[in-house]
Amino acid sequence: MTESSQRVRARGASLMSSGEARRWIDALEIDTRLLAMIGTLVVIGLFFNVATGGLFLSPRNLYNLTLQTSVVAIMACGMVIVIVSRHIDLSVGSLMGMLGVLAAVVQVHLLPTGAWFNWIVSLVVALSAGALIGAFQGYWVAYRRLPSFIVTLAGLLAWRGGAWLLAKGTNISPMDERFQMLGGGLEGAIGPTWSWVFGIVAIVGWTAIIIDGRARRSRLGLAARPFAVDAGIVIVFAAAVIAFVMTMNSHLHPIRKTPMGIPIPVLILSVVVVIISVMATMTKFGRYIYGIGGNPEAAELAGVNVKLVTMLIFVVMGVLCGLSACVSIARLNAAPTSLGEMEELSVIAAAVIGGASLAGGVGTAAGAIIGALIMQSLRNGMVLIGIQSSVQQLILALVLILAVWFDVSYQQMRKR
Amino acid sequence: MMKSSGLLGVCGGALVVLAAAACVSANAADKKLFGVSWQHFNEERWAKYDKACMLDELKKFPDWDYIETDAQASAEKQTSDVETLITKGVSALAIIPYSTDSIKPAAAAAVANGIPTIGYDIQVEVPGVFYLSFDNAEVGRIEARGVLAVKPTGNYVYIKGSQTMDISNLVHGGQVEVLQPLIDSGKIKIVGDQYTDGWKPEVAQTNMEQILTANNDAVDAVVASNDGTAGGVVAALTSQGLVGKIPVSGQDGDIAALNRIAKGFQTVSAWKNSCDLGRQAVQVGVALASGTPADKVGKSKFCGGPAKVCQDAIELKPVAITRDNLNIMLDAGWLTKEQLCAGVDQVPETVHGVNPPPACK
Repeated sequence: MTESSQRVRARGASLMSSGEARRWIDALEIDTRLLAMIGTLVVIGLFFNVATGGLFLSPRNLYNLTLQTSVVAIMACGMVIVIVSRHIDLSVGSLMGMLGVLAAVVQVHLLPTGAWFNWIVSLVVALSAGALIGAFQGYWVAYRRLPSFIVTLAGLLAWRGGAWLLAKGTNISPMDERFQMLGGGLEGAIGPTWSWVFGIVAIVGWTAIIIDGRARRSRLGLAARPFAVDAGIVIVFAAAVIAFVMTMNSHLHPIRKTPMGIPIPVLILSVVVVIISVMATMTKFGRYIYGIGGNPEAAELAGVNVKLVTMLIFVVMGVLCGLSACVSIARLNAAPTSLGEMEELSVIAAAVIGGASLAGGVGTAAGAIIGALIMQSLRNGMVLIGIQSSVQQLILALVLILAVWFDVSYQQMRKR
Repeated sequence: MMKSSGLLGVCGGALVVLAAAACVSANAADKKLFGVSWQHFNEERWAKYDKACMLDELKKFPDWDYIETDAQASAEKQTSDVETLITKGVSALAIIPYSTDSIKPAAAAAVANGIPTIGYDIQVEVPGVFYLSFDNAEVGRIEARGVLAVKPTGNYVYIKGSQTMDISNLVHGGQVEVLQPLIDSGKIKIVGDQYTDGWKPEVAQTNMEQILTANNDAVDAVVASNDGTAGGVVAALTSQGLVGKIPVSGQDGDIAALNRIAKGFQTVSAWKNSCDLGRQAVQVGVALASGTPADKVGKSKFCGGPAKVCQDAIELKPVAITRDNLNIMLDAGWLTKEQLCAGVDQVPETVHGVNPPPACK
C-alpha cells in the first residue's frame, strides 16, 4: 500500500456520498484493489484446481508456479516504478537477454570452470552492466528529453543485437553449479529450517511496520485505523506466510525425498519486493517518484531533481533486468540468445494487471507480483489441462483487457 | 541513440553495396556473378559454414565471382537488395528470405528476368524458383526414430516448435509419420503436446514442468523439435531428478546439445550440414545458368509449402547424431573435443549408455 494510493482513497472517500458498504470499507482503509486482485487469484486457483482434479494446488505445482513467476515478477517490480513515473521501458526483454548472455560468457568462457568465485563475479557483472545500461537509457530520457518509449524501443533492438554479438549466435551452457542454485532447481531451495526463519522474519517485519504506522499516525494527530483491523491484517498475513512456508516445505526433493523449502528465486523476489516497497513508501526517493508521476511540473517546482530521479529509476530497472537474467539462465542452465524475447510484454502486462496506471502516479510492487502471479497461474493451469498456446494467448489478452477495464471503471465509480 | 544506430545500419548497408559495386567494376567484363541475398548475416552459421563453403566451391569455377547483400532482418531492405542484384546482372541468385511472403514480388522479378533463382534453406514460394534445403520431414523422422530406439513403448511427449513457422509443422509431420502407427496400435500414448512460442528454451522448460506435473512424472520419452527446446526439456527433467533416464531428441547440432549427448542427457540431434548446402547452392546455380533444365538439376519435386506451389528441389538428408557417432562432428570441425566432452567425466555411470562416449575417449 503506497502513500499515493492512500491519497487517492482519501480523496475518493471525501467525495463519496452514498453506499454504506463502501463507507465501511473506506473506514477500514484496506486497499480494495489489492483485495480484488487477490480474490481473482483465488478464483483462478480454485477453478484450475477443480479442472485438474486437485493438481493445480498441489505443493509441487505451487512450488513450480512460484519459480515460473519469479523471472517476470522481479522485472515487474522495476516496471512499476518506471510506469508510476509516467515512463515505459520496452527494452527489458532484450536487456535481460543481453545481460544473461553476458553473465554466461563471463562464467563459461572467461573465468576458470568450477572456481568458487565464478557465480558471484558473473552475477556482479550482470548487475553492474544492467545499472550502466539503465543509466545510459535514463540519461537520454531525463537529460536529453527523448521520450522513454523511443529510447527503450531503440534499446529493444540494440540489446538484442548485443546478445547476438556476445554469443555469436550460439547457446551458451552449462552454468556453474553454485550459480545454478540462483535458478531454483534440484539444489536451489533453502530447506525447511531456513524457510521457517524466513516466515518468522516476514511476520515480525510486517507487524513492526503496522505498529510503526500506528505510532506515526498518533504522533501526527491522525486517527489510527481501528485496532481490530490492524490485528486482522497481521493475522491474515501471518496465516498466508505460514501456509506458504508449509506448502514449500511439503514439496519433496524428487530423489532424496526431503522437504525442499522456499526456492532461492522466490527468496530473491521477496527481497526485491521488500526493497522496492520500502523505497517507494518510506524514502524521499520513493515520494519523488510518485510525485513526478502525479505531476512532473509540480514536482520540478517543488525542488525535486526530476532528471536525476528519472535516471535512477532506469538504473533500478537495469539492475533488476540483470538479476532476473541471472535467475533465468541459472534456471535453464543455459543462455540462449533468444532469452527474454517478448518478455517486455509480460512484464508490462504484469505491472498493469497489478494496478499500475499508464497515466502515472499509481502502482505498487506488491500489485505487480500479484499481476505476474495471475498471468503465470493462467499459463500454468492451461498447460496442465493441455490447452494449446494460441488459445492461451487469446485468454491472456482477454484477462489484460478485463483487468484494465475493471480498473478504469472502478476509478470512475469512486470519483462519482 | 536510435539515430546513431540507424546511421550505422545505413552505413553498413552502403558499404556492402559499395564493395559489391567495386567487385562488379573489377570483373564485369568477363566473369559471371553468383549473387546471394542474406536475410540477416548475424548467425554464426552463415559466415562459418554456408558462405565459407560457397566461396570454396566457387573456386572450382574460375569464370564465376561472388556478390552478396545482407538485409539485416528487414523485409523492405531485402526487396531492394534483390532488385539491386538483378540490376547488377547476376547470373544466378540464392535468396535466404527474411519474410517468406514479402520476398515473393522481388523473387518473381528475378525469375521474369531469366535469372536462375534458388530459395536457399527456406522456401521462396514463387513458381520457377528452385528449392534447396534440408528435408525437414526427415529431421522429424530422425528425432522420432532416435527416441524410439531407446523407448519403443510408453508415454510420449511432443515439444513442438513455434506455431507461426511452417517448418515446425514440417518437422512435426515427420515425427507423426514415424510414431502414428505405434500410437494407433496402443504401444505409444501421447501424454503432452505443446507448441513452443518463438522456439524459446525457457518456454519449453515451463511447458515440460507442467506436463511432468500433470502426469506425475509418468513420462517415458520426449520428442523435442530442436536443440534449444531440448535444452529446456532437459532442465525440467533435471529439476525432477529424471535427467538421463528419459530419451530426448533435437536438431541443429548445437554445441550445448552435442555436449548433452556426450553426457547422456540428450539422445539424438538431427544435424544439417550447412557446408554441404552452400556447396550444393553453387553447383545448382552454375548448372542452371549453363542451361541445364531445372527438372534435371532437381532431384525431387517439393509441393509442401503453404500455397502448395510445386518446385524443382534438392532436399539434403540430415544426419542423426548420437553418442556413438559424435566423432562426425569433431571430424567436420563443428566443435572442439574440449567443447564436446566438457564435464563428461563428472557424469555418474548410472546415466544410460557407455561412459565416456567413444568420441571423448
